[in-house]
Amino acid sequence: MSMQGALPVSLIPGDSVLHRVHPLPKMIWVVLYVVVAFMTQNIIVLYGMALLALLLGIIGGVVKPLLKAAFIIVPIGSSLLALQLMAPAVEQPWTQIAQLGPITLYEDGLYYGLVLLGRIVACLLMALVVVMTTHPSDLFTTLSKLKVPYTLNFMMAMTLQLIPVFQREVGIILSAQKSRGMKGNGFQAVLPSFVPVFVGAIERVQQLSISLESRGFGSAGHKTSYRQVRGKASDWVLAVIAIAAAALLGTVSIMRGGWSVSELLVVEPATAVAVWVVSASVFLGIIAFALILSFRKS
Amino acid sequence: MTDPIITFDNVTYTYPGTETPALDSISFSVLPGEYVAVLGLNGAGTTTLGLCVNGVVPTMLGGDLEGTVTVAGLDVGEYAVREMAKIVGMVFDNPEFQMSQLSAAEEIAVGLENAGVPYEDMIRIIPETLALVGLAGFEERSPLGLSGGQQQRLAIAAVLAMSPQILIMDEPTSNLDPIGKQEVFDMAARLNKEKGMTVIVIEHEVEVMARYADRVIVLNEGKVVLNGTPHDIFSRVDELAALHLRVPESAALSTLLARQGLWKGETPTRTESAVDAVNTLLEARRG
Ligand SMILES: Nc1ncnc2c1ncn2[C@@H]1O[C@H](COP(=O)(O)OP(=O)(O)OP(=O)(O)O)[C@@H](O)[C@H]1O
Ligand SMILES: [Mg+2]
Repeated sequence: MSMQGALPVSLIPGDSVLHRVHPLPKMIWVVLYVVVAFMTQNIIVLYGMALLALLLGIIGGVVKPLLKAAFIIVPIGSSLLALQLMAPAVEQPWTQIAQLGPITLYEDGLYYGLVLLGRIVACLLMALVVVMTTHPSDLFTTLSKLKVPYTLNFMMAMTLQLIPVFQREVGIILSAQKSRGMKGNGFQAVLPSFVPVFVGAIERVQQLSISLESRGFGSAGHKTSYRQVRGKASDWVLAVIAIAAAALLGTVSIMRGGWSVSELLVVEPATAVAVWVVSASVFLGIIAFALILSFRKS
Repeated sequence: MTDPIITFDNVTYTYPGTETPALDSISFSVLPGEYVAVLGLNGAGTTTLGLCVNGVVPTMLGGDLEGTVTVAGLDVGEYAVREMAKIVGMVFDNPEFQMSQLSAAEEIAVGLENAGVPYEDMIRIIPETLALVGLAGFEERSPLGLSGGQQQRLAIAAVLAMSPQILIMDEPTSNLDPIGKQEVFDMAARLNKEKGMTVIVIEHEVEVMARYADRVIVLNEGKVVLNGTPHDIFSRVDELAALHLRVPESAALSTLLARQGLWKGETPTRTESAVDAVNTLLEARRG
């Protein structure tokens, strides 16, 4: 059946209100999320945005796959917090909060770590919600309406569609190599398979471009579009509300010099130590787990 | 007399980086509305011959082409492949490598969008073409999630939707079951008869050619060795055997009978005529 299920992130078919929103306002939301997230240092705003994205995920009926895909935040977030606590990415001087043997933890690190994490979580969740509730073709049609060059758009769409093919090809080549008695596990086994996959990819791309050109791809002159994406009044209302909210949050953030609310976050040394220990061990644990998996997988 | 729609005038072509020409001094022409079958052993140059007609050879693949290929009055060497798309529809031999879109409908739409066909026409043409190749209702299916045979049908549909004057199919049924094969060749025959589409099929199955084609061209080591009606070609059982090519079973049967002095008539090349012939023979013996 459809290979699209093999993609890590793709449209979750459905008929929710969110699925029916025009791709353009959705793209605007994502852009605004990124802009606001990088202008503000206010964790209330950031985690509020993340919560809003989660809420949209619930409306779109995609919470489960959303949380599954968002799992990637766990290793990123834990490493971020652990590192920030030790070396905050803000200007010195830092306020020391606890000493763990040779490791010094700083109060500023915890707040700034939460800011960085909040930015990632908010933007990632929003992007995932949009991708999961928008047909990729509609997304690309909209991009081409925005004068993103046809060829560039086409390349993106094609890449999206070729990922599962290459995943499958790696699988086939791995088992072919194994049936010929090639030894090795994990990375050792995967590496030699890249050569045939790469050669196969070049061949495929050449044949594909011949096939496309033979169908007139790249012709000069007027082109039409099969996918029709129409906007409703409500789509534009949603876009305008989002732009207004973003303008407000952005302006306040700039006027208040980042709008940091670190004074709200009062932490005991014990809390800082606990956060550091948990995040560092989660991160190391994930690394160890991934290593074991890659060596044991045959 | 009508002018030919395709003319090969002393064409010799060598792929880049190779010494021996893949096509060697090829000359022949095809009339509008003809159904031509091209036959040859692996490596004989049949695919290369097809690629010359819409200019993939030499425009996209490079190499050295001598002589001229003229299609619908145009010197193919002087046009980009995409410009030939309105005239020549080409179905390649590897169906999976012709799929580039997220859905079957969009796969067919590629050609139409690039030709500037209005949306209102596209939504009519796409389901019609899918139905024509036996894929009715497949609009939203992912092309790479289809079976090899379904992909082959989709590749044909993607080309047919553009209503080319010339349809070239390179081993279009290699992944299809017997019924599927017959459907594709029946469809091509219908387009040929009803719409006057010129059809060129590259095929290994001689029974199919004997049945559908107006003309058979046999290639060997890049040269045209035989060029004539299926009946004419497939009666030359010994010549074909010398080229290691199979002949239709009916022709093989009558040749065997003739060698034993049992058969004196014309060589039947279609199954039906062989049956008739054998019946006559049996009746003569009984009577
Ligand atoms: N891209 C290429 N580069 C170099 N040589 C090629 C290329 N493609 C084909 N050839 C060579 O040209 C000759 C004719 O190839 P062609 O693909 O036309 O054969 P074919 O008759 O279609 O065979 P098959 O029945 O196996 O499809 C062969 O000797 C082949 O090795
Ligand atoms: Mg071939």
